[in-house]
Amino acid sequence: MRRVLVTGLGAVSPFGAGVKAFWAGLAAGTCAIRPLTLIDPEGFRCRIAAEVPEVPEGSPRRSRADRLALSAAVEALEDAGLGTGERADAALVVGAVGGGMFEAESWYWARARGERAPGWAPALRSMLPAATAETLAHRLALGGPRHTVVTACSSGAVALAEAAALIADGVVDRAVAGGVDAMTRLCFMGFNTLKLLDPEPCRPFDRERRGMSIGEGAAFVVLEAAEQARARGARVYAELAGHGMTTDAHHVTAPEPEGEGMARAMGAALAAAGVTSRAVGYVNAHGTATPQNDRIEARAITRVFGPGGVIVSSNKSMIGHTMAAAGSLEAVATILALTHELVPPTANLTTPDPDVDFDCVPRLAREVALEHAVSNSFGFGGQNITLLFRRA
Amino acid sequence: MSQSAGRGVVITGVGVVNATVVGDSGALAAWLAQPVAGVRTGAVGARPAVRLPGDTLGGLIEPGEARRLARVCQLTIAAARLAVAEAGVDPARGLGLVVGSEMGDFTSTIAFADGYLARGPAGLSALLFPSTVMNTMAATTAIAVASRELSLTINVPTVAGELAVARAAAAVASGRVDAVLAGGVDELDPLVAELLDALGDEGVRGEGAAFLVLEAETAARARGATVLGRLTGTVWRSLPARPWGVGRRIASRAVEEALRHAGRPAPGWMYVSASGDGRRDAWEARVLSAALGARRPPAVSLAELVGHHAGLGALHVAAAAWTARSGVLQASAGGAPARVSGCGLVHGLARGGSQVALVVEPP
Repeated sequence: MRRVLVTGLGAVSPFGAGVKAFWAGLAAGTCAIRPLTLIDPEGFRCRIAAEVPEVPEGSPRRSRADRLALSAAVEALEDAGLGTGERADAALVVGAVGGGMFEAESWYWARARGERAPGWAPALRSMLPAATAETLAHRLALGGPRHTVVTACSSGAVALAEAAALIADGVVDRAVAGGVDAMTRLCFMGFNTLKLLDPEPCRPFDRERRGMSIGEGAAFVVLEAAEQARARGARVYAELAGHGMTTDAHHVTAPEPEGEGMARAMGAALAAAGVTSRAVGYVNAHGTATPQNDRIEARAITRVFGPGGVIVSSNKSMIGHTMAAAGSLEAVATILALTHELVPPTANLTTPDPDVDFDCVPRLAREVALEHAVSNSFGFGGQNITLLFRRA
Repeated sequence: MSQSAGRGVVITGVGVVNATVVGDSGALAAWLAQPVAGVRTGAVGARPAVRLPGDTLGGLIEPGEARRLARVCQLTIAAARLAVAEAGVDPARGLGLVVGSEMGDFTSTIAFADGYLARGPAGLSALLFPSTVMNTMAATTAIAVASRELSLTINVPTVAGELAVARAAAAVASGRVDAVLAGGVDELDPLVAELLDALGDEGVRGEGAAFLVLEAETAARARGATVLGRLTGTVWRSLPARPWGVGRRIASRAVEEALRHAGRPAPGWMYVSASGDGRRDAWEARVLSAALGARRPPAVSLAELVGHHAGLGALHVAAAAWTARSGVLQASAGGAPARVSGCGLVHGLARGGSQVALVVEPP
């Protein structure tokens, strides 16, 4: 198996476009969850979300999701300094759930009202999750293996793991991988219906937490085989040293109560990286702020790292749950935490839950010497993944 | 290394649920020996379609599943259970799952949206919402067959099933998992047909599911499993094309790489993704001609018999394993079967440019 290095980063987050804005917002502990503007929240308990303030411009025929993804992927490629020739054989793996559903919903809503629905062809073409990968491959001339993974809220992290596997196995030398989701009515309404949204900005690991906040965004990374990255003198952010992917096989929406599948994913990531739990200094938690998820994730982290054995924080307290983008945005945050040796805080955390045996870095970022850090992502269907990064 | 390098990968179980075949590799073999087309139900949308009769799943689904789960999830579970039962694999020893789908549970997604449009927030169903996420088939199937290792849902036009099998084979070959249930599923919803019409798709449409159990060869043989076929070369690549479009480039290394990994100079026969989608089919034919030239062997597609859906990829791989064992390649449209030898190539080329090549050999 070949070593896999991270050589380029790109992000569009509720803090705006660019990795710089993303990290500045996280490091400052700024909460970007605000009143919802894209969707009419009339009749719903929750009326807030973490929207991307200015979606990068692009063809109006492209979906919001495609424009978010393009912006992040272009930034990652430019950051890595990959030229056209190096892109030609690069793999592309995209984690997506909603695809261009936001535009397709507009079409369907109008159709249901008996109105003439403008722009139906682009809306339908971009509706499925795979549309973003097709757009990126076409626009950025990425000619290697390409696939789109849909593993609910873990999709973005799974995309990184899939790309890393292609490199580790020697299929390709380079890959662009990440996740994207734009706000959609279906998602907002669905989580409202499940009563999983907090009317106030979410408070992961807080005793008074009442649910999650929806967000949107995209993050992509460039991954390269170590030998090829070194040969071209690439700047290296971190090594994606291991990952673990498991399934609960328990319930379609609820995690297995003991966190067994989550713990297995973390354990598999440690084993793949060849490190013990004591080598890991920081867990970037899935941390949705639902009472159930945070309790079970904390239980799983305890099983792997021991009570209080590691620092934990949740980016979702600032950027909300960005769905398929969450795993890749949080991977970028984890990589930057390693490079800056600064752990982003859990915003809005005022009364730590006594059942959570960890220092969850309330409200203020903290300087910590780090050699290894992990990022957890979990999704509907009991889909668990842990990515383990090593400092470059 | 490649997707196919590393450990040998074998097929030990098959499960098929479509308009023409419901059963394991034995049922598939019986149908392939004398194939008949599924009953077309006229057009769904602007194109002909092959739909499953309403009673297809009787006995394959538990009453609670029939009551609770969406039809596309029931199709997935039924085919998956057939494959696992034939393989005799013990999920407790580690079983992964890779599901390919083009449309997911579109029917539930539309029903969820219609609930809101009809009655506002009060019309929304908490039960339907999880089905709007495309991994709902994998989620319910993982529970049904106790698959607790990696679980992936792969979305791509045209070749979702082929890609799911290729990805699963790579996971087994690399040693990340010893056994994977892999295949594809789609359901034909009238709005899906409308959507495909709008996008210019011209194929014969179908629905159903097909799944394979893929195992590491050494592990399968050690436990005395019946090996139905071997996957000796699996490659996926992409050709330039606009989203959902048909491209112009025909030079591709995918077929060459798959054959090289298998150590074969050329295939003896092919199953291809031709589905009646004229421009796409013609592109695939040109790509294969460019890759194989004079070595291009006879080719068939089961799409015109069962209709195109994401189960077709795994169905083609299972059919190729049967051809490898029997030496018989049925003609696509009821013509005389051909006697063939050598390895088989399963090939798929999607609108948008995703390409998959799998080399299948006898046990």
